[in-house]
Amino acid sequence: MSKMNDFLENKVMPVAGRVAGQRHLQALRDGIILTMPLIIVGSLFLILGFLPIPGYSEFMANTFGDQWLSKLMYPVGATFDIMALIAAFGIAYRLAEKYGVDALSAGAISVAAFLLATPYEVSFTPEGATEAIMVGGAIPSALMGSKGLFVAMLIAMLSTEIYRFIIQKNIIIRMPDGVPPAVSKSFVALIPGFIVIAVIWVLRLLVEQTDFQSLHNIVGEVLGKPLGVLGGSLIGSLVAVFLIQLLWSCGLHGASIVGGVMGPIWLSAMDANRLAFQGGQELPNIFTQQFFDIFIYIGGSGATLALVFAMVLRARSKQLKQLGRLAIGPGLFNINEPVTFGMPIVMNPLMIVPFVLTPLAMVITTYIAMSTGLVGKPAGIAVPWTMPPIIGGYLAAGGKISGAILQLVNFALAFGIYYPFFRIWDKQKLSEEGGFETTTTSSGKVVNM
Amino acid sequence: MNILLCCSAGMSTSLLVTKMQKCAIEQGKQFNIWAVSGDSVHNHLNKADVLLLGPQVRFLLPQLKKLGEESGIPVEVINTVHYGTCNGTEVLKFAEKLVYQ
Repeated sequence: MSKMNDFLENKVMPVAGRVAGQRHLQALRDGIILTMPLIIVGSLFLILGFLPIPGYSEFMANTFGDQWLSKLMYPVGATFDIMALIAAFGIAYRLAEKYGVDALSAGAISVAAFLLATPYEVSFTPEGATEAIMVGGAIPSALMGSKGLFVAMLIAMLSTEIYRFIIQKNIIIRMPDGVPPAVSKSFVALIPGFIVIAVIWVLRLLVEQTDFQSLHNIVGEVLGKPLGVLGGSLIGSLVAVFLIQLLWSCGLHGASIVGGVMGPIWLSAMDANRLAFQGGQELPNIFTQQFFDIFIYIGGSGATLALVFAMVLRARSKQLKQLGRLAIGPGLFNINEPVTFGMPIVMNPLMIVPFVLTPLAMVITTYIAMSTGLVGKPAGIAVPWTMPPIIGGYLAAGGKISGAILQLVNFALAFGIYYPFFRIWDKQKLSEEGGFETTTTSSGKVVNM
Repeated sequence: MNILLCCSAGMSTSLLVTKMQKCAIEQGKQFNIWAVSGDSVHNHLNKADVLLLGPQVRFLLPQLKKLGEESGIPVEVINTVHYGTCNGTEVLKFAEKLVYQ
């Protein structure tokens, strides 16, 4: 048992610390967070448009006219469809901040660079025609959303790296004293900004000579597809969950560390489902951000809500009884630090076993339930991770009772896996408290332990 | 005294904040205690006298310690047991020790 602790402490911890502290991954994670409030707001409108109440859409059509749904979807478009644009700004901003250079300018330059990498063309099928034609002079909203996310990430990092390199080499225009700082600041960004734009411009000109036509196509082929396969497969998801649990076992915020890498993949998958859901088509993806947040991490990373219920209902040691009472409130909102650090699960070889096994088992059950069509797939609605279970499952599945039922099944499964380990730990705590000889059960019967 | 707490999203630390505030009031202390997420901590540093990190983000310590040095405030990680049990009294004591030592 102590070998496991040594392994966690000496091998996993330092690597995790380095990954988590890695500048670009941090910027990626913190920058993409900027899109989250927008996407959640957009999701509210999405839910309103597809409320699963019989007669709802007829009622809406009679009250607000036939166009009610497409009008209700305006805010959905304005939030989901600019995901990449916002990310291009956010990532560059956060990265520049870490380098200690002007973050606002870096963000603005990154947005321009991202647009420069995007061909201003949309395909359009005129009435009566059978073939689509390309129309110029329009920013393609599809590439501003999740489809452009990977390009936005790469451009944001590339442009900010160039930007800070030039500034740190001190190749800037200096204004004489007496010029207002706001003015001289914009001149500082002039040369680096010019170089960033020139580099991306040359890059685009080169790419246009190849069969790929655009940077978006290259990134989609080279990065997007393999990453999508990794993030969209059962094996990939099990590995991600295993890593998250292993990191938490060392007391590190696994979801936020792994999220730096997996977040963009799951976010794109979520948006692909959203588009299909809106269009009334079959949902393409199972593994989205909500798959993990809502169906797996019931009660927080490790699905510990079931463990907390076990404490509240069955704990005999004072310590666990008290902890159960303390942890159940936050646990209903999927916050579980009181359990992970208070029980503790962190660095506790006994409790780490169910803590790692439970979510892995739940990934498999949830995958089976969704791939066989028993339960609705996540509908691309960004249900915040703090949403209590049952409501969360119902909403994430696009207003399907099956989503809520799956959460209950998963909860029961988690209870079953945690329970024996909980009993051992509880017994140990009880004997530490001095109650190991005889104890009274809730029915008043005296039993020997 | 102004005590700033920080974790990944500022959620679980805010639980601790409530407990610490209660303790401070019981002890008759006029403290300002609040929690923020890791990515917005730099916007709050100038208002704080001490910064305490949740143990789950202790990988941020080197980076935030540097920021703390610039603003001249101590930065430390909260004891895991105190954190897990939401022990407001102990964490409050810890914060005071860091500021007054």
